[in-house]
Amino acid sequence: MRPAGTAVTSHATTIRRAVIAVAVVALAVFPLVSNDLYYQAMLILTFLLAIGATGWNIMGGYAGYISLGNSVFVGLGAYTTGILAAKQNISPFLGCLAGGLVCALAAAVLSLVTRRSRGMYFTIVTFAALQLLAIVATIWSGLTGGSQGLALPLPAWSLSYEDWPFYYSLLGLLVLSVAVSAGVRRSKLGLGLFAIQDDEGKAAGLGLAVSVYKLIAFVLGGTFFGVAGGIYAYYVTFLNVSAVFDIVTSMLIVLAALLGGRGTLWGPVLGAFIIEPLANLTSTSLGGADAGAVRLLLFGGLLGGVVLFLPRGVLPTWHAWRRKDHDHPERTVVPPAADASPGAPAAEGTSRGTRSRDGAVLTVRGLAKAFGGVRAVDGVDLDVAPASVTGLMGPNGSVKTTLFNLIDGTVRASGGRIALAGRRVERSGRPARSHGGLARTYQLPRLFPSLTVLENVVLAERRLTLSRLFLPRVTAAERPRALAVLADLGLSGCADASPAMLSYGQRKLIELAQVLWLDPALVLLDEPAAGISPALSERLAGIIRRLRTDGTGVLLVEHDVAFLASLCDRVYVMADGRIIACGTVREVSADPAVVDAYLGDQVALATADQAASRVESAS
Amino acid sequence: MTELIQALIFGVLTGSVYALMATGLTLTFGVMKIVNLAQGAFLILAAYLCYTLWARLGIDPLLGSLIVTVPLGALGVLVYRLIIERVQRVDHGLTIVVTFAIALVAEAVIALVWGPDPVTATPAYFNRAFHLGSVSVPAAQLYACLLAVAITVLLQAGLRRTWLGHAITAAAENPDGARLVGVEPKKIGTWIFAIATATTAFGGAALSFLYQFTPDSQDIWIGLTLSVVIVGGLGSITGAFAAGVLLGLAESVTSTYVSVRWAAAVPTILILLVLLIRPQGLFTLAARQDAAA
Repeated sequence: MRPAGTAVTSHATTIRRAVIAVAVVALAVFPLVSNDLYYQAMLILTFLLAIGATGWNIMGGYAGYISLGNSVFVGLGAYTTGILAAKQNISPFLGCLAGGLVCALAAAVLSLVTRRSRGMYFTIVTFAALQLLAIVATIWSGLTGGSQGLALPLPAWSLSYEDWPFYYSLLGLLVLSVAVSAGVRRSKLGLGLFAIQDDEGKAAGLGLAVSVYKLIAFVLGGTFFGVAGGIYAYYVTFLNVSAVFDIVTSMLIVLAALLGGRGTLWGPVLGAFIIEPLANLTSTSLGGADAGAVRLLLFGGLLGGVVLFLPRGVLPTWHAWRRKDHDHPERTVVPPAADASPGAPAAEGTSRGTRSRDGAVLTVRGLAKAFGGVRAVDGVDLDVAPASVTGLMGPNGSVKTTLFNLIDGTVRASGGRIALAGRRVERSGRPARSHGGLARTYQLPRLFPSLTVLENVVLAERRLTLSRLFLPRVTAAERPRALAVLADLGLSGCADASPAMLSYGQRKLIELAQVLWLDPALVLLDEPAAGISPALSERLAGIIRRLRTDGTGVLLVEHDVAFLASLCDRVYVMADGRIIACGTVREVSADPAVVDAYLGDQVALATADQAASRVESAS
Repeated sequence: MTELIQALIFGVLTGSVYALMATGLTLTFGVMKIVNLAQGAFLILAAYLCYTLWARLGIDPLLGSLIVTVPLGALGVLVYRLIIERVQRVDHGLTIVVTFAIALVAEAVIALVWGPDPVTATPAYFNRAFHLGSVSVPAAQLYACLLAVAITVLLQAGLRRTWLGHAITAAAENPDGARLVGVEPKKIGTWIFAIATATTAFGGAALSFLYQFTPDSQDIWIGLTLSVVIVGGLGSITGAFAAGVLLGLAESVTSTYVSVRWAAAVPTILILLVLLIRPQGLFTLAARQDAAA
């Protein structure tokens, strides 16, 4: 994973660049100066594995979706190319592009699975897809040659060129795939993928169309490997199902990526350059009936060992060790935040246009949710007007957070209607609701630890445009605006820090900054004042008032009745999944139903009453 | 008509055995959210052990499975304590990768011990069948089915009636809550892995006389058991039973009316379809997911 704080000493960068340049040049001239076909063959297979591992890493390392079936792509690429060459007489160097296209389609379909389920289900799907395609390829023998195999035409070029066309096309493809992987890391696409790995639900809540991100990530990796598979098919000139759709290839890909360093740019390449020569060595030095089993034992054991003892991989472990050694200044404590007076006028870039102030920004009617037989939310009606602060209170367990989860789409409602500024959204996904103007914070702040604070702020996406994904992580236009938002919250010093280094209260403020970045029409705040210092709480109240002034509707869950009373135009009181009262804080605290709901909780109500009268006498 | 009835009977018999084979996976998957890809290799290992007991000592596989539960249970404990529990602490997402590695190592070890040739146990009832009119019920399949039903009922009763069963259920539904009332996840995890791999002995016994098997056939069996678990829904033993029967029926109908070769594709097709359309499984209710968040 990328360390927070982008400053890497230029010295180290220069050395790294030099090493890479020398390695690429050495690989490029190697076949010209040596005609050792053994090493050429080994390097060809190494390039193939490195392309596979680099592609795997975009989905597995950046987005955190581990595939155990990536040999599907080499198989599909190889068979597409092989079939086109054998039956249509199309040059494999053209056919492999078709192979890449087939793989892109397959990856797109498989990635659909991640729309509704996460993590291990994706792993299972890739695993199952590999098995299925192997079975289909065997059965469909008219096309694939089945268990007899499929022979490609032999290369027609002069023998004096040896394996150069394979060698250079795969080397070129490797350079291209690493370049694409590097581009992804630097772009908004990569930013989103790392955010998905950290906290996918939260990323979706910030408007990121996470399924599009994952689709692109998986398709990119699969396509490169598919093209490589086509070239590989031409190279081996004979395909049989069990060798091409071999799960061991998938295993080697995962092994290479994990060994080198999952989520790093060069880790998968490094891993492939360790693993493939090793595989080559064992296949030449081991013989006899047990050779296959011994190899399996060796590589299975190696994979297990890497997961157990080197889970981050060589490169990140090495970097961590070096960093400890040199103790970079950037790892020291974040400077205390400069104080900004609460309620100060918003910095230039953040001021929002005037909104329409008619009609409710949120309308909820008859909202219901049952979990099994339990009716957790039971016919809730609720309105939030623009330019207002609406409170939501109720004893613990009265499903206030669940109501938030229903409104923002984390949980699908079983019945009822939700409208954002008049548009029905109860069937839309989270990103769509976010694009519709909704933003929320969580009871415990959820930030993305692998991104810097600044990146956390600019991540939020108001609408999905493909071109946006290719912009840099933080564009030149966004940077000053985001810095202004941070300065406004008194967090100017933390822009390049990791959120993990900040205090709880500061993290809450940054989550608020993410919300402000979306310029929402409706904000849901889940206990924003809980557990933070009075000073921060004061600053928070200022921000909420300003949101109201700017025309935003705020729905606020809070237990601190004084805090509610000082901010809210009206409050709803929930108990047992229903709204039991609605009105000003003073009105609802006199309501017998509310007293009943808080049965025995007289202290809270007494405080509420006092707080309310304090507010009134002050005004 | 007879053909259809025959296909249905065969489907139910096979399906219950599939469910039996998937019990271990159901337990680890459902309670601990760990997909143990080594379960297929454990199944094959159990089959080889039952086969060896039968071939060397003449012990019937159905009886031998009781003996085999002991080494397999121990293996489950070792694998959990030495490997899975550690990986889980560092990165839960990598547990599936490490079980995949264990599967490959186990396959290699099995191949080194027993060799690559296909074997199968052939006890006396191996080729016998009961006849009901024109329909025949193969004895081996029937015994395996009875074993499957017995084990499922026992496990279900164990989960409902014993403290350990309650603790396991509690840990599955709400890990944090379970910890608060003194259910230690590591201890529960050890028990689950012990039970999960020990019950694999019964699945392995059925496998040993119903099918030919080789070390690398673990690949097929893990695909099949995964399919049972996914179609049945996470961690539900009865759901897995229903899914096993559904899968058995689908395979049986496919091989009768389409082709035997396509029957092999049924489990993986079902996995893909279910995960695309109804990822929570066909036989489960929607459960509250946000409680922990």
